[in-house]
Amino acid sequence: MTIQTILQAGIAGALTGGLYALMALGLTLTWGMLRVINLAHFALILVSAYLTFELATRAGLDPLLTVVVTAPLLFLAGAGLQWAFDRFALTEFNSLLVTFGLLIVVVQLVSNYWSADFQRMSAEVNPYATQSLRLGPFAFPTPRLLAVVAAVVLVGGTHAWLQRTYSGRALRAFAEDRTIAAAFGIDHVRLGALLGGVAGATAAVAGMLIAVDRPLTPSSPFEWFGIVFAVVILGGIGNVVGTLLAGIVVGALAGVVSVAWSPSTAPLVIFSLIIVALLVRPRGIFVRGGT
Amino acid sequence: MNNRSSVLRAGAATTVVALLLAACNQGAATTSPSETNAAASSAPPAASVDAGSPSPAAPSGELIVVGSTLSLTGAFAATGAIHKIVGEQFVARLNADGGLLGRPVEWTVQDDESDQAKVAQLYERLISQDGVDLIMGPYATPNILSAMAVAERHGYVLPQHTAVIAPLLTYDCQFPAWSIGYEPNVYVPTQLYEAVATLPDPPATVAFATNQNGSTDFVSRGLPDDETDPDARSIARDMGLEIVADIQYPPGTTEWAPIATQLQQADPDLIVNNSLGVDTVGLIQAMKQLNYDPPLTFSLFPAPGPLLGLGADAEGVLSVSIFEPNDAILAQYGPEVTTIVEEYETAATAAGLPYTAFETQATASWNAWEILVAGVEGAGNLEQDAICDALHANGADTTFSGNLAFDPAQNNFWPSNQGLKQIQDGDWVMVYPSDRAAGTIRPVGN
Repeated sequence: MTIQTILQAGIAGALTGGLYALMALGLTLTWGMLRVINLAHFALILVSAYLTFELATRAGLDPLLTVVVTAPLLFLAGAGLQWAFDRFALTEFNSLLVTFGLLIVVVQLVSNYWSADFQRMSAEVNPYATQSLRLGPFAFPTPRLLAVVAAVVLVGGTHAWLQRTYSGRALRAFAEDRTIAAAFGIDHVRLGALLGGVAGATAAVAGMLIAVDRPLTPSSPFEWFGIVFAVVILGGIGNVVGTLLAGIVVGALAGVVSVAWSPSTAPLVIFSLIIVALLVRPRGIFVRGGT
Repeated sequence: MNNRSSVLRAGAATTVVALLLAACNQGAATTSPSETNAAASSAPPAASVDAGSPSPAAPSGELIVVGSTLSLTGAFAATGAIHKIVGEQFVARLNADGGLLGRPVEWTVQDDESDQAKVAQLYERLISQDGVDLIMGPYATPNILSAMAVAERHGYVLPQHTAVIAPLLTYDCQFPAWSIGYEPNVYVPTQLYEAVATLPDPPATVAFATNQNGSTDFVSRGLPDDETDPDARSIARDMGLEIVADIQYPPGTTEWAPIATQLQQADPDLIVNNSLGVDTVGLIQAMKQLNYDPPLTFSLFPAPGPLLGLGADAEGVLSVSIFEPNDAILAQYGPEVTTIVEEYETAATAAGLPYTAFETQATASWNAWEILVAGVEGAGNLEQDAICDALHANGADTTFSGNLAFDPAQNNFWPSNQGLKQIQDGDWVMVYPSDRAAGTIRPVGN
């Protein structure tokens, strides 16, 4: 086992962490700002992945460009969902149950239309899957590199929006104290729909990169739960920058442990460390004053 | 608005939609096939079709109900779909050919959602409450083991498609449709190493990447509680191969970069990826991302379609097979087999499956149904004991695998006819052994 091997595994893992962060971004936004644990977010990622496959395979669109179609669609879907959650006045716990049901419905619909079999864009349609950027002895796989870049851009943009714009500050005020925010005239329904739409758009980007990176199967969302929730919680619920950092740390750690010990040990080590980290800093390791 | 009633309405609406969708996705297959009996031989059996005989009488009388579960949703659904199509095709042809004992056959399938616990519950219901006449096994080894326990408790004969870990299948009346002999952990690696030894420049070093799923891990490591049990690694050493890496990974792994990195460092002549599904796709992709051209690679139980989708990067990948619809193979079998293959392809295309070739999974499924029919016809009735005894006494003649002889001392596992296939020019081609091959094994880059 050489240092280069370990470093390469860490680099690849960190890039994978960018994809985790991208998947977690929408979830942490709606959970932190709106108190909605939206498991249907995974359904939006799944739909985006399959739409990417469909548009690239049947319509001949470059897979990366499919986001031009899917992002607006899923923005609308996300906004519509959030409007519905507000309409039915779902509490945090109830949102978990209802959105899980929605996820099951979407998984079934996807299976009915695209079948339960693995779907994968062929090499002719998707040249990015086996490409990488070389820097010295190290390789940066293209799909994961794009995921990190997208995660940085979207996290940066979302952070700036929440910190520097009226609507962002209004959302943060609403998250802090709903009653006082309403008294100040903050329209949480419209803002919530906007945030839901943004979360949907991030799901579109995540789904596109998943389709570029790996074969698809309708049951894929159930593989994502554990790691994405771990990233959200470790980064601090609602903390978008923390989510990015947590994703990269978790991914890099998983990669290093996989080569230093074994791939079967990695989940044990990762989730044990997460438990310890949350015992020490229960609000997230990247949250200021996280105890 | 009252929050509790809002939630209840929303939850109820979601539940209703989910149930409707689940109902749409299930189906009982009752259409009409015609069965063919193969001549008993070790060479590819010739389908017997008497063009001059009159059409068989339509089946009449009381329905014979065959019950089973399949993974129509969940992790195993990709392959469950294949077994559903084959089962429907077989039952349709069976009914068109006069049914079973002259009676029409209906197949009722429940979705076990790839969940072992649900398999047991559903088979218990099929037998105890629904009172089905016969049962057919589910897909995937964990589910088959679950069903086997129920079948044994009720004394039902269980033909099963794909569980090949013979030592685990101890029920006398389970009958395997796919056999890798009593010791797959010896058969598979021995055949592989013998095959690659015929290459102009045979591999000298080997690396293992093993999915820790029971079926695949068994081939790499043998029985878990018996260190003397031969396995792919010990046989490799015995045959003069040097092991340069031995990596295990958990089922559900999607991050291949760490494994690919280790394989790149080890730089073997042969990679043995005892794996399932799309593992090898991810592994080859990760190796290419590292600018590492994979050496000769063996994939144990891959989903065949996605590997072909890798294009040139997957050329030369080897795997196991009991049947491939290559022209040379079909020519050996005859026109009836060609018809079966084409009918399946049509149905699979209509079902939206991305890979529609009638290959190992479909063949095992067809075998299983022929075993069931052979047992019932041999017994002359639907008594489970009589069916089981008939299969032990007479075996089963199958279209694709010839005569199957079931020896309880071998847990009914018959001498294997499994060979090797290789991706050549973008398609899977049978390459070993030579008497059942449509091509010859090639080195990578040829």
